Amino acid sequence: MSQQVATEGTTDETDRETGLLGGYGLRRVVLYAILLAMGVFYLVPIETGVMTAFTDPASYTGRAPFLPPLEPLVANSGEFSIQPWQNAVSGLSQGLLNSMILVIPATVLSGLLGSMAAYGLTNVHWRGQLAIYMLFVAGIFIPYQAVLVPLTQFWYNVVPLRTMFEPVGMALPIIEPYHWKLVALIVTHVAYGLPICTLLFRAHYKKLSDEMLEAARLDGASVTRIYRRIVLPLSIPMFAVVFIYQFTQIWNDLLFALTIVQFGDAAVVTQELVGIGVSQSGTNFPLRMAAALVAALPTLVVYVFFGDKFARGVAA
Amino acid sequence: MAELTLDAVTKVFQEGDGSEVVAVDDVNIDIGDGEFLVLVGPSGCGKSTTLRMIAGLETISSGEIRLGGSRLNEKQPAERDIAMVFQSYALYPHMTVRQNMSFGLEESTDLDDDTIRETVTDAATTMGIENLLDRKPGELSGGQQQRVALGRAIVRDPEVFLMDEPLSNLDAKLRAGMRTEIQRLQEDLDVTTVYVTHDQTEAMTMGDRIAVLDDGELMQVGSPLELYHRPANQFVAGFIGDPSMNFFDVSHEGGTLVGDGFEYPLSSDVASDLGETTDCVLGVRPEDVSLVESATDAHDFRTTVEVVEPMGNENNVYLSFGDEPSDEEPDQRFVATVGGLRRVERDSTVVARIPEDSVHLFDAATGDALHNRVLEEDVETQATIN
Repeated sequence: MSQQVATEGTTDETDRETGLLGGYGLRRVVLYAILLAMGVFYLVPIETGVMTAFTDPASYTGRAPFLPPLEPLVANSGEFSIQPWQNAVSGLSQGLLNSMILVIPATVLSGLLGSMAAYGLTNVHWRGQLAIYMLFVAGIFIPYQAVLVPLTQFWYNVVPLRTMFEPVGMALPIIEPYHWKLVALIVTHVAYGLPICTLLFRAHYKKLSDEMLEAARLDGASVTRIYRRIVLPLSIPMFAVVFIYQFTQIWNDLLFALTIVQFGDAAVVTQELVGIGVSQSGTNFPLRMAAALVAALPTLVVYVFFGDKFARGVAA
Repeated sequence: MAELTLDAVTKVFQEGDGSEVVAVDDVNIDIGDGEFLVLVGPSGCGKSTTLRMIAGLETISSGEIRLGGSRLNEKQPAERDIAMVFQSYALYPHMTVRQNMSFGLEESTDLDDDTIRETVTDAATTMGIENLLDRKPGELSGGQQQRVALGRAIVRDPEVFLMDEPLSNLDAKLRAGMRTEIQRLQEDLDVTTVYVTHDQTEAMTMGDRIAVLDDGELMQVGSPLELYHRPANQFVAGFIGDPSMNFFDVSHEGGTLVGDGFEYPLSSDVASDLGETTDCVLGVRPEDVSLVESATDAHDFRTTVEVVEPMGNENNVYLSFGDEPSDEEPDQRFVATVGGLRRVERDSTVVARIPEDSVHLFDAATGDALHNRVLEEDVETQATIN
């Protein structure tokens, strides 16, 4: 057996010496070829989108969409233009603003409330907390389809948020009357995201040392003070995880927006993306591509900013 | 005044299936002002639960804990003026040493920032950690973290220190150093201290008094020497001392103890202590068993050396009765401690002397001590003083 291994070892060495394409080298070449092919396969759609977005819509038809627009240097390759981007930004601007108004408070609130709920359910001991926690877990499994009709009923008929909101809209100049729909959307997203946020934080809080929290109690800190001074600072990596997750979820959501906002000035970016660049004269592909990339940009930015903390949170 | 009184303290845990587990059963201890009391016992004996009840981290099922005469039972941990050092140190990992030590003062007092700063610096100087104040716990060694944990306790100047196995995470050498340091600190500060450990060496060396717990029940409270020489029962006798006391199951037949492979005659004084009891346990400490040249007395026994454990300063010699070495596991094996320079060969035959002055006798059924060893006058007075 050992002899066999030894012989194999020498063959490998001779292969490497004799030629690049000998046994060992050939395997590498095949491996890299496959990797390259997979990379191309995954990246081509994005690359095509970017190239298309930089093409003048008038010269779009008839070109290969994944090649760069190089007219007049290369004939029939399409004309370079940043017009689609400008149109996309101006077309989506209202939606981008509405999405920001929605996503920032909704993300921060669901993270904070999830963290507080998890602390109360994990590190503070009281009777019946397990039953309450089971309700939270059950909340994760409520299907979206089941809540769509009740949601509309709730926000349009049960809770008169619209009429409640009117005086506020009058009093404060930056607040428009239609913002009530975004408030409803924020509350809905926070409520729907709370169970999963609680679950994530609870996993983290279970690992906190009991003795450390007891030491804080003996040091005279109340339940809320322990949360603020000990638990909250130790949750920062988990907040990164929850923020990225919730931000992406809420930013990309279309279903709740269609249900609650329906149409009008409060439409969020995903709703506006549906209709942009579509008209009776045909589809404006460069504009649609640019708009899709613009709409996806904020989630990318969030990943870049919180990425390192996210990695620590997942590892924790 | 900070006398701590445990009056019939009992803790009952409700299990998930509705059954009850008694963790601490009717414990009575009076701890004087400035006294260092060590709670010792095997794992699961209820010593940590007792400490946590004093701290207020566990409710008291029945009984009362008083500090300086006032009842503590219903008080929140923060209101008890008690500081605790945990086995895991329980430092706040995101705070610097200074913040760790300031935390208690900020949360429980109205002191202004400058006073807190000064108090913390003083306490840090006492503990020799003033150069570590800006570091975080993760950057400290185990011994340094231990010092910070102690510093965090002393900075609050509490009425009572509670320590829950604070040295068990340290290596042996550091542990011995910290042991004397904690003693010195406690003497300097003169604060009532309750110290929990499972290590009888720590208990013997550190405590003014030791309370031995077993299975939730208080076995005996007394000075280290009292417990060593005058154990109240077989459990205390076996728990205190290393290597532990040798025990032989014997029956008392007309002034003679008959055991497995030996007979031990008793003088009339000792025999009268036994009274009517027939099933007894004979106990003798390893250092009281001596190896002699030849059998001259009824208390000398021919034995075979099974194992020799050289410790350097002394040898622990494992003996069995009879003079033939056998391959079978002996029924009764006992230990004698002899000087480190004395050569004892394995499988050789030696004569072991078990002097009557140094034997303890226990009731086999209840474990209660019926007769304790005779102490020379000076040892005895010392034991009572302590």
